[in-house]
Amino acid sequence: MGAALVAPAGAALALVALGPLLATAWLSLRHRVPVLGEDHFVGLSNYRALAHDARFLGALANTAYFTAVAVGLELLLALPLALALHHAGRGRGALRAAVLVPWILPTVVAAKLWALLLQPDLGLLARLWPDGAGAVLTRPRLALHAAIFVDVWKTTPFVALLLLAGLQAIPEDLARAARVDGASALRVFRSITLPLLRPALLLALLFRSLDAFRVFDVVFVLTEGGPGHTTEPLSLYAYRTLLRAGSFGLGAAISLVTFLGVVAIGLAWLSALGERSPGEAPP
Amino acid sequence: MRPSPRALVPVLLCAALAAGCRSHEGDARGAQRLVLRYQPLGPDPAPFRALVAAFERESGVEVELQALPNAADLAHQLLVTSLGAGGEDVDVLVLDVVWVAELARAGWLADLSDAFPPARVREEFLAGPAGAVVQGGRTYAVPWYVDVGLLYYRTDLVPEPPRTYAALAAAIRAAQAEAPGIAGYLWQGRQYEGLSCNFFEALWGYGGTALDGERLRLDSPAAREALDHLRGLVADGLSPRSVVTAAEEDARRAFQEGRAVFMRNWPYAWPLLQDPASPVRGRVGVASLPGAEGPAPGALGGWQLGISSRAPAARRAAAARLVAHLTSPDANAVLAIAYGRNPARRASYEDPRIRAAAPFIAALLPRVEAARARPVTPYYMLAGDALQGELSAAVSGLRSPAEALARAQAQADAIAGVAR
Repeated sequence: MGAALVAPAGAALALVALGPLLATAWLSLRHRVPVLGEDHFVGLSNYRALAHDARFLGALANTAYFTAVAVGLELLLALPLALALHHAGRGRGALRAAVLVPWILPTVVAAKLWALLLQPDLGLLARLWPDGAGAVLTRPRLALHAAIFVDVWKTTPFVALLLLAGLQAIPEDLARAARVDGASALRVFRSITLPLLRPALLLALLFRSLDAFRVFDVVFVLTEGGPGHTTEPLSLYAYRTLLRAGSFGLGAAISLVTFLGVVAIGLAWLSALGERSPGEAPP
Repeated sequence: MRPSPRALVPVLLCAALAAGCRSHEGDARGAQRLVLRYQPLGPDPAPFRALVAAFERESGVEVELQALPNAADLAHQLLVTSLGAGGEDVDVLVLDVVWVAELARAGWLADLSDAFPPARVREEFLAGPAGAVVQGGRTYAVPWYVDVGLLYYRTDLVPEPPRTYAALAAAIRAAQAEAPGIAGYLWQGRQYEGLSCNFFEALWGYGGTALDGERLRLDSPAAREALDHLRGLVADGLSPRSVVTAAEEDARRAFQEGRAVFMRNWPYAWPLLQDPASPVRGRVGVASLPGAEGPAPGALGGWQLGISSRAPAARRAAAARLVAHLTSPDANAVLAIAYGRNPARRASYEDPRIRAAAPFIAALLPRVEAARARPVTPYYMLAGDALQGELSAAVSGLRSPAEALARAQAQADAIAGVAR
């Protein structure tokens, strides 16, 4: 009976998720360039080509760096923000709404906004610091950080909101009891708030790292992957290989590697989330 | 018994459904219907619509206009996806100069040699676009309008436009002595197709070519000199560092604000620079791009009209008439006067209507005649992506020009080698 009830959902998933995934995996084993009329089976040679492709390895490194730094910064900034929102007295509702504004903007709009501000000749930042922050997009080793900055600016409020929900689920009594026992505010935070916030933290990490690993829009609008592919993430490389260069087999291989990266990250966080936090009573 | 109005509902629904599903073969009266996929020419669609309406009246063929995004790479992607899937949903296509070889090789463009014999195309149209649409002695598209890379300069700061790179550098130094803080030469160094155009112009400026048969030849002495030159402009401060992220509009806005002495751009910038609100109005001149020893050809841009090879024979004849109508001398005049597009027909530059209403365009004849197409090879679009990244790496100082070109060459060869 249970299986029968789940069947429609399972069928729908198979149709819209598993089917395309298998089709992509099959495509990644072929050499297909429609413009040249090429289409034949090549086994794993697309993957072998990627292993020696400097641009692919660069894109992989860019994506990993972007994910680690952006998500790390977002958590570091969101935690104090969430605590402040949690303890804010009057105007809490208005404050929360205001904090969410960057997150409400569509990413493309936010990225375009920053692209104009960071435009190295006429942008506002270029007029204030012509050779400093204003020139960041022209520097191959710095441009990726501009994309990270925009991502952090945009998504920190979202992480803060997730953490705020976690904070509100912690019973007030625990902190009060600890204070009666003479614990300092720092001690309460370290021994009570942080351990009980763990599920919310891991959930935020899960959401954000999956999202950041698939980053496309911020980079596409800010730099189109330039200068010299130094800001190109995997999804942009896959897009260009598929649709600009028209090489469907290789593009499918890049997409599949991106997908596997996302799955690996997801599994890692989910298994961490499944572990009980230390000191939590067994059910 | 009369059927109640309610009984008609299913009938009406079926009729509506049938109308919705109707193919564009034609309606019940047998009138033909063509689909033209194009990129909007400007904010006001009226002059172009009138041009199409005139064709509909004369021929009795209905034309459905489908707008494509005004970004060449996106439009290419949409065309390739739809044609590659064997779609019959489009008859007449608008094609960039660099796509014709690729799509003709793929067999997706109908051979138009009967309606537009190659000899006539070469005679009536400018050499650059004619060379792009005639492949292996057959005509695959008809030139619609052209674009060419130009040097814009400030007449109040530069007495005479420079003809060589050395003269360009000297003119910048002199102008900067006169107006301290002004930027030198603005061009397009962002990682995109515009950078490839700037690179090929420099390559031709050093007397090089990028084609060896069908093979893209990027790693040549002239190419290294060209890329050294572009990198040197940034490294020596003749161009501001911002050019490595600049596209056409970034350059045009800065130049229009009076912040630079020279700019490389397409003809579209002219009317904007001469706008009554433009700070540099009346202080701008246009010349050929400089080269190592004398003026260099500008890159040829522009669009052609082709016919999908999937269009059934019955529609192809009508499509050929539509192409003839849209590329006629009258249509050239409409595009030049209403949209500022350069005619692809040589004779149109003598057209009194254009000379009177768009003298700037009429005066561009020597430049468009000298304009050169980017390498005409089926592999251009495939290799272009790798080339853009390496050119960008070199102009931003990430790799030496020699190394960047060696890498671009290896990738282009890999693409062509796999394809063979």
